[in-house]
Amino acid sequence: MTNMKISSSELRLLFARHKLLAMLLALALIWLFFWHQTNGGFLRPNSISNLLLQMSVTGMLACGMVLIIIAGEIDLSVGSLLGLLGGLVAILTVNLGWNTWLSVAVVLAAGAALGLINGALTTRLRVPSFIVGLGGMLAYRGLLQLSTDSVTIAPVPDDLGAIAQAFVPPGLSWGIAVLIIVLTCCLTLARRRRHHRLGLKVPPRWMDALKVGAIGATAIGFVMVLNQAYGVPLPVLILLALLGVFSWITNQTVFGRHIYAVGGNVEASRLSGVNVMRVKLLVFMLMGLMCAFAGIVTTARAAAGSPSAGIGGELDAIAACFIGGTSMRGGSGTVYGALIGALVMASLDNGMQQMNVDTSWQMIVKGAVLVLAVWIDVATRSERT
Amino acid sequence: MFSQQPLFEMRDIVKEFSGVPALSGINLSVRPGECLGLCGENGAGKSTLMKVLSGVYPYDSYCGQILWEGEELRSRSTSDSERAGIVILHQELMLVQQLSVTENIFLGNEMRLSCGRMNYPAMHQRAAELLARLKLTDVNVAAPVMNYGNGHQQLFEIARALAKEARLLIFDEPTSSLSAKEIEVLLSIIDDLKRAGVACIYISHKLDEVMRVCDTITVIRDGKHIATHPVATLDENGIIGLMVGRALEARFPRTERQVGAVVLEARDVSCWDVTNPQRKRVDNASLQVRAGEILGIAGLVGAGRTEFMSAIYGAYAGRSVGEVWVAGQVVHIAFPADAIAHGLCLVPEDRKRHGIVPQMSVAENITLASLSDYARIVRVDSDSELATVEREIARLRIKTASPGLPVASLSGGNQQKVVLSKMALKTPKVLILDEPTRGVDIGAKYDIYKMIFDLADRGVASSWCLQNCLRFSV
Ligand SMILES: Nc1ncnc2c1ncn2[C@@H]1O[C@H](COP(=O)(O)OP(=O)(O)OP(=O)(O)O)[C@@H](O)[C@H]1O
Ligand SMILES: [Mg+2]
Repeated sequence: MTNMKISSSELRLLFARHKLLAMLLALALIWLFFWHQTNGGFLRPNSISNLLLQMSVTGMLACGMVLIIIAGEIDLSVGSLLGLLGGLVAILTVNLGWNTWLSVAVVLAAGAALGLINGALTTRLRVPSFIVGLGGMLAYRGLLQLSTDSVTIAPVPDDLGAIAQAFVPPGLSWGIAVLIIVLTCCLTLARRRRHHRLGLKVPPRWMDALKVGAIGATAIGFVMVLNQAYGVPLPVLILLALLGVFSWITNQTVFGRHIYAVGGNVEASRLSGVNVMRVKLLVFMLMGLMCAFAGIVTTARAAAGSPSAGIGGELDAIAACFIGGTSMRGGSGTVYGALIGALVMASLDNGMQQMNVDTSWQMIVKGAVLVLAVWIDVATRSERT
Repeated sequence: MFSQQPLFEMRDIVKEFSGVPALSGINLSVRPGECLGLCGENGAGKSTLMKVLSGVYPYDSYCGQILWEGEELRSRSTSDSERAGIVILHQELMLVQQLSVTENIFLGNEMRLSCGRMNYPAMHQRAAELLARLKLTDVNVAAPVMNYGNGHQQLFEIARALAKEARLLIFDEPTSSLSAKEIEVLLSIIDDLKRAGVACIYISHKLDEVMRVCDTITVIRDGKHIATHPVATLDENGIIGLMVGRALEARFPRTERQVGAVVLEARDVSCWDVTNPQRKRVDNASLQVRAGEILGIAGLVGAGRTEFMSAIYGAYAGRSVGEVWVAGQVVHIAFPADAIAHGLCLVPEDRKRHGIVPQMSVAENITLASLSDYARIVRVDSDSELATVEREIARLRIKTASPGLPVASLSGGNQQKVVLSKMALKTPKVLILDEPTRGVDIGAKYDIYKMIFDLADRGVASSWCLQNCLRFSV
């Protein structure tokens, strides 16, 4: 073996172990490129605020989608479902004049119910989820056009619009940033102590310190920059909370572990007593719930329910998951990875819009980046056996 | 007896997996017509060494040299080494379940007509011939392999290896699911191959087979070469001594105990074939197990033991009827989860397909069935989970660098221990074991027997499905 090879395989190992690092590096490169091309415009506070807002819808879908893909399924109906649920909240508040919060609650419940229907078709009736999704994609879109007569419903009440247009007060943002830093410190310390007690390998102190430092610096940096605009947009805060909840589900709960097991080997999971059907049903239900979140935010942001809302949303969400290192074959993936993937997709959209790139070229670039990202992920994966 | 020129030589083979050495400097050579037995404990590096030799690991992923008839062999893939004449039969089944028996036997090696069409008549005929040589006559070679049980599938794998023009045949635990009769057929085929000048490498934890068929025995331990001796100078205890580096006192920790009341009773269980609903695989079978009893269920490959057990457990794919009584009450079991809720646990026969979740870690696999025992409401308490895992790893001597490694990186026998520990952790009332010591070395077999006897002392009934199990029945 030559020296060259050893160093390349070491690099590969480094990236395989710290996938997060590689993804962040790629993101930084993309941002640097757009920053250069837009003469710094891309990284101005307003632009970043906009970018995060744009990402939050894809991010919400990606949160649900990553669980579905880990469980070994796919859901193509989420774009249409987002549109349908966004339309529903507009119809309830504008056409029927319902109270905003009641409507939101109803739409969330409807999202969960529709997700359950997708799940039941897949698990009980054993129609492959790809087909259920394909059918849902058409049917839900049709239902939306039928119920809105294919016209935009506007204007939505102010308090609904506020869900996407409001900002977190600067002081509170600082509080949350501090909370995040304290939480990361505590979690890291607890993990070090546990690993130590069980005789597992404890990562070097500098590495953990670096990690906590980086997370802290990012949190402070974002709050600082966003407070220069209007503050942290509310949907971004919601997404952050969802990231916390979904990471907790996947890492800490029995249900989360079962999702990975079902995606990794259905038969072995079933024989171990895992209720495969219930796990999949719940995962689809969470996906429906995420569609409701995303639909409400979309309608609130546009201040109108549009019959074309969410077209192509499923593709963005799926792409985000794969860019974030989720395995096509199920059984592995992370929520934070999917969210970084969503940020990559949103950055490409946002950056190219600012550069006034032709939409056809935007699609070509996004497609190429998706394939490239997954190729890098596969190539740096630790040795195939 | 053999020509002196070795067929191949492996020199100083070193192979590491992310910094952990699996092989540290192994030499090996075999002459044409010789059968070499490769012995070693679970995780010693036998399969890894054979994967290096057969090109599963390409030539730049390990250090050292392979000389094939005096010339350096640099395989980039298995097809390179197959061209040289090396054919390997892997430890785990590598069949495509949906394809037919014939298609599997000729996969990658198809007989063709013009324009790349498959020559089905010729292949079906040749497949039937190969199976006849293995004394398998009740097989429809055009049916998908998933219709057949593990023992049959292992024989299909052997047929697939025989279909190729091999000059070196590597058998990595070929008999783990076979019955005594089938093993005898395989061993006599190997004798024929040797006479035809084919070299063989034979890996097995069943030392009687190794002694019967091999000319030379090489023992490796922890990735190091320990000894190579002609078989005539060794006996079983000598091999075991070399393998474990210490003497094993008892090979079978039998204790006597009182059996209690009937805990599991199955009445009139019948199962029908999945694809051929007319055909009965199990016909009105019944079974009674008492607390603390260890019951052996014998039967040839394909006799329906596995089907019978999976029907009781609610895991049979086809139609099945029958009554199951647990502790004197009739219970309805539609899914494995129901069975587990009633205190029945099953250790399946095929660990790769039904036992492990390959991407998950060793720890996560061990606690998969009993995860809710470590949960406070919904959250898993990882401290107590890991403590249990460490205890299990120590108890069954599972060889792994860390409980956080993916279970697929363990050696076959160690994966088997993981599957076993997973179901035993549920502390069931009845533990159903389908070939639980498949691919497990002698020392670990002792540990497993001891574990079952300990459970039995605590009143857990077990029923074993085994090929040669008379000596286990109490
Ligand atoms: N892909 C892999 N990644 C990491 N470690 C591995 C991998 N494959 C094998 N190992 C390690 O290499 C060692 C040797 O494994 P190997 O499968 O060769 O053992 P074996 O002698 O065949 O054992 P058994 O009798 O159980 O089949 C084991 O400790 C195993 O954990
Ligand atoms: Mg092995």
